[in-house]
Amino acid sequence: MSLMAAARNRGMHIVAVCGGVCMLWATLIGTTQLQNRYTLPWILGSVLPCYFAGLFTWWHAPTSPVAKRLLLIGTWLSVTIAIRYSTTLLIRAFDWNLRPTPHALQLPAEYGLQVLSQSCDLVVSILVVRLLALLPDGRYAFPYERRVLGALWGLLALPALLPLTGMTQLTVHYVVFYYPEAWLPGLGAVLLVLRCLRAPAAGRRDIAALLPFAVPGALLLLARAASRLFRTWQGEQGVLYFVGAVLGALPYVVISLAIVYAAFRHRLLGVDLAIRRSAVYGSLWLIINSWYLGMALTLGLTAGQYLPVGLSLLVAVVATALFQPLRARLNALAERRVFGKRLSRFELLVQFGTTLEHAYDLGRLAPRLATGLHEGLNLRWVRVRLGGDGLPVSLGEAGTRPAGPPGAPLGEFPLLYGEDVLGIIEYGPKAEGRCTPEDHDIGETLARSAALAVHNVRLTAELCARVEEVQRQAAELDASRARIVHAQDTERRRIERRLHDGIQQELVALVAKLALARSCLRRGGDIDAALTEMRDDAYRVIDELRELAHGIHPPILTDQGLVAAVTSCARRMPIPVTVHSEDSMGGVRFALDVEESAFYLVSEALTNVLKHAAATHVTIRMARGGGRLLVEVRDDGAGFPTETTRGSGLTGMRDRIEAVGGELAIISGPGTGTVIRARLLERVREETRA
Amino acid sequence: MPDPLRVVIAEDHYLVREGTRRLLEDTGEADVLAAVGTAGELLDAVGRLRPDVVIADIRMPPGHHTEGIAAAHAIRAGHPGTGVVVLSQHANENYAFDLFRRGTDGLAYLLKERIGEVDELLRALREVAAGRSVVDPRIVEVLMGSHARAADAPLSRLTRRELDVLRHMAEGKTNRAIAESLRLSESTIEKHVNSTFAKLGLAEIPQLHRRVSAVLAYLRHAPAGPD
Repeated sequence: MSLMAAARNRGMHIVAVCGGVCMLWATLIGTTQLQNRYTLPWILGSVLPCYFAGLFTWWHAPTSPVAKRLLLIGTWLSVTIAIRYSTTLLIRAFDWNLRPTPHALQLPAEYGLQVLSQSCDLVVSILVVRLLALLPDGRYAFPYERRVLGALWGLLALPALLPLTGMTQLTVHYVVFYYPEAWLPGLGAVLLVLRCLRAPAAGRRDIAALLPFAVPGALLLLARAASRLFRTWQGEQGVLYFVGAVLGALPYVVISLAIVYAAFRHRLLGVDLAIRRSAVYGSLWLIINSWYLGMALTLGLTAGQYLPVGLSLLVAVVATALFQPLRARLNALAERRVFGKRLSRFELLVQFGTTLEHAYDLGRLAPRLATGLHEGLNLRWVRVRLGGDGLPVSLGEAGTRPAGPPGAPLGEFPLLYGEDVLGIIEYGPKAEGRCTPEDHDIGETLARSAALAVHNVRLTAELCARVEEVQRQAAELDASRARIVHAQDTERRRIERRLHDGIQQELVALVAKLALARSCLRRGGDIDAALTEMRDDAYRVIDELRELAHGIHPPILTDQGLVAAVTSCARRMPIPVTVHSEDSMGGVRFALDVEESAFYLVSEALTNVLKHAAATHVTIRMARGGGRLLVEVRDDGAGFPTETTRGSGLTGMRDRIEAVGGELAIISGPGTGTVIRARLLERVREETRA
Repeated sequence: MPDPLRVVIAEDHYLVREGTRRLLEDTGEADVLAAVGTAGELLDAVGRLRPDVVIADIRMPPGHHTEGIAAAHAIRAGHPGTGVVVLSQHANENYAFDLFRRGTDGLAYLLKERIGEVDELLRALREVAAGRSVVDPRIVEVLMGSHARAADAPLSRLTRRELDVLRHMAEGKTNRAIAESLRLSESTIEKHVNSTFAKLGLAEIPQLHRRVSAVLAYLRHAPAGPD
């Protein structure tokens, strides 16, 4: 195996050397012997780029079929042109006519040379097809590929056989066989598309990445062949020739560039390439500039056919100047593709400034900063951590940090805002070259600006939270206000009903009884019993009135304060209620609304206990602490699920407490009793009696 | 027939004031020396007339809060010979505690509607004039019915019967009256009274004040105080 591999390797060496020699030979005889003006443009514009690209990729990936094929194409292009020039020399020497003519007989030597020339062209086209069709790894993936591509070699028989069949019709002859590049590359492109469609999803992306290069390459070849056909018809003169030359060179350049770039960027050759970026860029640069030079030369030469020397020189210069932006753009594109976006420091800062301006999402900002810095300064790795100090932390990383124990980063800048550390920017050495002090300045400036941006995000977040809180409070306040008003209305109606339906009716009844007693007295009867009854009735009315008044507002609360009122309330409960009130509560009178809210809470809580809890004991605690008045009512009753219970009593309690700036906590669960706990702002009353 | 009690009435409501005066005078057992409308006038009248007993409304101008209680304290401090019956519309024991917070002697807390029961009113007047104390049965009822009492209160050591006796005692009843109410013999009542005194730690106190102190203890400890 290794012997075979070595033999193949030697074979490729021979191919490479052969290609170089042929190119030199063709250049030599083309420029000196034949004085063919288009020798250099052709060699510079297509042969050299192709040969060089093949050499470059093969050198770095000697086992890759794609690299070998590319080199083979480059070499074969050289060989072809060398053969063509050599035959031209021979033709001159022997005055042969190689152009197929319908009725003229051909000499065997002429015939042989024609077959050779056509075969060479065919081989180039077949090689291009095989290269395109088997991208990106250069290996057969489907049996049909092997069959179709293998069958292509059979075409080589045609140049020799066809003239013997007597098929001499010019058009067919030209289109189908003389210029097979007219249709063969198209076949390659079709095969590649097919391959892409049939490939498993994972591999499809790689192939699809190459389609944008391969398909235009094939189309360009098609266009070139068409123009060449046209040229043959019109004669190799003028603008058409120029267009043909450009078209002729472009596909090879495009394919070369694509493969070199893809080999480097996407590692498509199936070999883990370790190519320096500068080397890749250098190759791309060489291919582009070689083609550019070739095109400029072609243009100058084309112009020289029509114009005086001075003017044609001017045209050449102008054209060169016109092509210059294209070349510059291509070079810049190559550079950017290879090195990533390399921006000037100023651009870098401006770009960061724009990024930071729109920084409201730290999760997106961190990777952007990392990528920006990574590409901008061409660093091996960058790590950006934003947030902390009350903000969620977001990380952004670009490049890969070398494995193993992490050494100290080359640059490390914390994001400081005042005393607060709002993140950190760390980075490793540059991919190539050393970090200059200016590079570190950029890191530091970025850290400073990013700190401001993060601070802004923090402020914005705080503000948003506060605004939301205020909005929520406002909405809650509106609702609670409405509920309080509603509760007041309900209460007023209740009082009105008790006054009218209860107390007033009883008084009316009393009046009636008085009238009865009077008539009884007039009749001389004894009204003593009636009077006693009426007195008891009056007592009942008084009791009811007292109770009603107490319900509206317990006088004990006004007269003696919260503890007395709560204790008194507790005493009237039919179940045991223990009241704990801290010593600090004694004798303190709180603001009227605070006392009222606290008392309302207790009495409402006790009412709830009686109504729902089935408790055996209730404990009420009252204490002061931290400027708050704390009131807690705890029962050992049935409890309730707090999430699902939304009684108007509970809401009313909350409303009352929150209306005086307090907080209410309801802790309960089925079977665990209930704790109602209120914390009210402790406002002590100025005067003892309101 | 003892001498009629010399009474000063303080009540801001004209009809109630004059009604009470008429009721008392009609019995012939009370002599209403003056009927005034404010606490200030009351103190003034007491200073001038030195009545045996004062009937004071708990709420009077200007504040309409507990001016009656303040006036009672002032009178008891300034004129120990004058008893004060505070008439209150509040069936709330805390007002009674407020009234008795410096001692129960010569003070009574009655609900206002008791003016409808002249005999009861007169009895209370005579009790406070004698330096004893009366609490409205309604208040006692609340306290007796209350579940909210501290476990270590002295009252928890009393039996139900003793508590009954004490309650009647707090209403200002004599042993004989209590015996009648409870349908027991007077000696049994005496036994309960003595055991109550013992349990409340009042055995060494002179006889007259024991009853008052018992009531005081009752009133003080009945509520569930802070633990």
